[in-house]
Amino acid sequence: MPEPRQLPADMLHVNTGGHEPIYRQLMMQLQRMVAAGQVSSGDALPSVREVALALGVNPMTVSKAYSLLEAQGVLERRRGMGMLVAAQSSAAPSQMERLNMLRPGLERIAQEAHQLELSATPVIALLRNLMKGSQG
Amino acid sequence: MNMPIRIRGLSKSFGKQQVLQQLDWEIEAGSIVGLLGRNGAGKSTLIECLLGLRDAQSGSVQLFGEDTLRLSEATKARIGYVPQSSELFQWLTPRQLMDYFRAFYTRWNDVKVNELMRRWELPWTQTIGKLSPGQKQRLSIIRALAHEPELLVLDEPVSSLDPAGRREFLSELVDGVIDRKTTVVFSTHILSDLERVAMDVAFLKDGKIALQQPLDSLLEATWRVTGSQAQVEALSPRLVLRSQVTRQGETCVLAQFDEAVLQELQASTSLRMERVALEELFIEVTR
Repeated sequence: MPEPRQLPADMLHVNTGGHEPIYRQLMMQLQRMVAAGQVSSGDALPSVREVALALGVNPMTVSKAYSLLEAQGVLERRRGMGMLVAAQSSAAPSQMERLNMLRPGLERIAQEAHQLELSATPVIALLRNLMKGSQG
Repeated sequence: MNMPIRIRGLSKSFGKQQVLQQLDWEIEAGSIVGLLGRNGAGKSTLIECLLGLRDAQSGSVQLFGEDTLRLSEATKARIGYVPQSSELFQWLTPRQLMDYFRAFYTRWNDVKVNELMRRWELPWTQTIGKLSPGQKQRLSIIRALAHEPELLVLDEPVSSLDPAGRREFLSELVDGVIDRKTTVVFSTHILSDLERVAMDVAFLKDGKIALQQPLDSLLEATWRVTGSQAQVEALSPRLVLRSQVTRQGETCVLAQFDEAVLQELQASTSLRMERVALEELFIEVTR
């Protein structure tokens, strides 16, 4: 069996001052990396302690994120090797799952749009335009 | 097992000013609790009463099941305290201070003390009175960690430290303290530090613990909901933190909802739902 690729602790980061709890930030980052193929099945996650020290966060928070991702099947615990990226059950996450990954960003946009007294229609029109542009 | 901290009906006033009023508070073993409150809310008074450094008018404080005013030596040795600022022992050097305190404890981690003194670049032989406020604070933290307490109480532990110093302190807390399942209670104004390490937050307001909750669920369950008065009043929040009428005549509540209710609310198109950050929660809860 090939030696698993060891992922570095500094691939994760946290923002304070927002409304997303730190364990959720970590979960969403890992989910996005898996969905985007930046990390692949069999890669070894940094240990809870390494992440806690690198980010200056409570180890229990890191451990919570890992356990929840394990329950979701994104990660798997392998004896003697710690946490690995699991073999993903489906080739790609469902549309709903991918949409949920966008949710935090969209929530912020919704809030800012409201502060600017913009209704949904022009904001959605703008988003549609931007997405057309990025399709190339 | 005895709870590290159990407070019942604690009241304390200075002259006519009632600072703590029938305050109840419990801290479970192994928890990391951030104590928040506005300036003058009585955080230091609470911490001092809790450690038996101040007499309260009424109420009881038990640490590990013993009355805080009559702690046994064995229980005292299980507690570490970092005061907000200390003007004591100004004439001693850090070396003399550590030697003095070491004599009180059966357990004393010299390796840890030496390592932190070196890492935090503190001089062993300079008199403490000549150290900067930040250096004094670091020294005070090292002194409190040296006997590896099971309960660590810190009053604004990083108020004199710059961002780099705060980060080093957090690392030490993560590495050496939380790892050992120590119970930690700390007051702070620096919400970003609290977010990084605290598992629970407690808000002190009007002499009481107005709210204590795991930080994660506080951030996840609390929403600001805005809509017509009738709509908002029809909601069934499990806790309302604040309610007001906006300039546009809408009703706006800051409240917590159960998961099932939340899903229903998010599907609603006529209500506006926003999540809130800790800073805003602090302002609203302590208002």
